[in-house]
Amino acid sequence: MLLDVQDLTIDIPTASGVLHAVQGISFSVDEGETLCIVGESGCGKSLTALAVMDLLPRRAIRAATSLAFSGRDLRGLSREAMNRLRGDRIAMIFQEPMTSLNPVFTIGDQMIDVLRQHRKVSRREARDRAVYLLDKVGISSPEARLAQYPHQLSGGLRQRVMIAMALMCDPKLILADEPTTALDVTIQAELLRLLMALQQEFGMGLVLITHDLGIVSRMADKVAVMYAGQIVESGTAETIFNDPLHPYTQGLMACLPAPERQRMQHLKAIPGAVPALVGAIEGCRFRGRCAHAQPVCERDVALREPAGAHPYRCVLPAETSRDNARAVLGAGA
Amino acid sequence: MLRFVLRRSGSALILMVVVSFVAFMLIFAAGDPAVKLAGEAGSAADAARIRAFYGFDQPIYLQFLHWIGAALHGNLGHSLYFDQPVSAILFDRLGTTLLLGLVSFIFALAISLPLGIAAARWQNTWIDRTALIVAVIGQAMPTFWFALLLVVMFSVIWPILPTSGSETWRHFIMPSVVLGYFAAPAIMRLTRSGMILALETDYVRTARALGIAPRKVLLKYALRNAVIPVVSVSAAQFGYMLAGSVVVESVFAINGAGRLAWESILRSDLPTVQALVLCFSLIYVILTFVADVLNAWLDPRMRLADARA
Ligand SMILES: Nc1ncnc2c1ncn2[C@@H]1O[C@H](COP(=O)(O)OP(=O)(O)OP(=O)(O)O)[C@@H](O)[C@H]1O
Ligand code: SF4
Ligand SMILES: [Mg+2]
Repeated sequence: MLLDVQDLTIDIPTASGVLHAVQGISFSVDEGETLCIVGESGCGKSLTALAVMDLLPRRAIRAATSLAFSGRDLRGLSREAMNRLRGDRIAMIFQEPMTSLNPVFTIGDQMIDVLRQHRKVSRREARDRAVYLLDKVGISSPEARLAQYPHQLSGGLRQRVMIAMALMCDPKLILADEPTTALDVTIQAELLRLLMALQQEFGMGLVLITHDLGIVSRMADKVAVMYAGQIVESGTAETIFNDPLHPYTQGLMACLPAPERQRMQHLKAIPGAVPALVGAIEGCRFRGRCAHAQPVCERDVALREPAGAHPYRCVLPAETSRDNARAVLGAGA
Repeated sequence: MLRFVLRRSGSALILMVVVSFVAFMLIFAAGDPAVKLAGEAGSAADAARIRAFYGFDQPIYLQFLHWIGAALHGNLGHSLYFDQPVSAILFDRLGTTLLLGLVSFIFALAISLPLGIAAARWQNTWIDRTALIVAVIGQAMPTFWFALLLVVMFSVIWPILPTSGSETWRHFIMPSVVLGYFAAPAIMRLTRSGMILALETDYVRTARALGIAPRKVLLKYALRNAVIPVVSVSAAQFGYMLAGSVVVESVFAINGAGRLAWESILRSDLPTVQALVLCFSLIYVILTFVADVLNAWLDPRMRLADARA
């Protein structure tokens, strides 16, 4: 197992009480595998990735029963050891291509720094590696790009540079936090194809964070659906798309434009709002928006895996859920 | 970059001409200079003779060209007090003041930059609070008072430093500390706030996520961005320090240009005042130019925006 996270919890003390941003989530990724973490804004996706990187805001408190990378426990790692891992074995790509590169250094300088931080190589060798990778991510005349500054590149190009930078040390795992959200739809598709191709070529594990189930359907081997700091359903991409059991997942899928419908059609959204996660929270987090909510949902609901189903966090029996899915998504689901 | 430097030198040159003209006009600010020179006992005929002798009767622009032409040859006129060419006194004094300014400036940077960076890095700790106290005291304390305090401490109570003069480097210690401490708080506060902002940016997060060593993140990735506004303010502070040298040179009896300016104003030695105003203004123009070039070197966006304009 490349990355194994068990029972990850992230609390952030705030003026109005403790924010339970992430509450006991578990997931794992293998080499060459893509895990998509999908969920609405604010459900804790970014914090989850930052927790793995040990880059959480200073106030945030992280706890987990397992946080292992290639069999190494990340929890007990010293700051220096973690720093050696970051950028070398695990790399992260962020959502904001316009601001994620340093404006006062050239692309080349920033790329070379990464490799020379982790490897004893000459500037020349680091430069060659940078040229090779810029070419790999589809940037034309890479030699010339090295001398350019971020503001001279478009958002799409900057994100390609970010990807190349993340690959400098040939990492085993990439955490990509909504890497295409800020970009045009056409560029989005290109970048995702690129990411997938690179992942397969280098055999990396990929954790792709997104709020777009359409992206998940194109990229994922495994899916974890997050809602309000919890995983509400997880499984292989196939099972999640063919057999969505949680009302929230079903809701997300109902928002997806079906192939036979026009692409331009406005997406539906699930009505209602995510509950505040400050202070003690009880019961199913989704019940305020769930059409099937019932009195038992006011008690905490565990993630369970009944026979013949994958893990989901809902009191409804799998068969009832499947009936609901057919009703919401029509036949074929 | 070369284009940027050339462009900025052009505007600096224009600014210099404007500033020179203002300095030149100063001689008329106090009324008809010929009448002044003739003195209270002088007759109208004396004044007329003086007017013709100094060329005060010619059109202003001719006088200006004449004056600036002479100044370019190092001739800044004749002092009314010393009875010798202004240039003979001025350059020596100016050298002393610039040396004092430079040493003070280095001292100011040496305390304000590390303190500003440390205050940002360890924000809201005792380090930050100590830096704040140092800055507030520096800002609140009048220069002359701090100077006297140092004199009492290091020349009277514990006599290890000379009180006055500018003969050895030891004479420069207290004046430089006083002047430097005067300039340091502004630079320090700006360094601190710039660093705090920079440390929270996405690109610093990227550097951390790629495992760049914390020291390098602080001193390369964050500092290079934070220091850009500091450069302009430092140049301005250098200018203020030259102004502050008037007080400091008086307290420590240093024969510098600041003191000369003060005394020349008291003596109504107009040619000397005029030459000093010219020199100080030109130093300001040069400082601004240097700050601009330094900024362009630090910030690629600036030099490329300028090249496109
Ligand atoms: N530094 C912080 N201080 C306090 N609260 C925070 C901080 N960072 C995140 N949060 C809160 O934690 C929750 C989860 O945030 P997170 O950024 O992980 O969401 P996300 O799923 O990535 O959302 P998005 O799709 O908008 O990026 C949110 O409610 C957010 O307001
Ligand atoms: S537990 Fe209840 S409220 Fe929550 S999703 Fe299931 S049915 Fe809806
Ligand atoms: Mg996010």
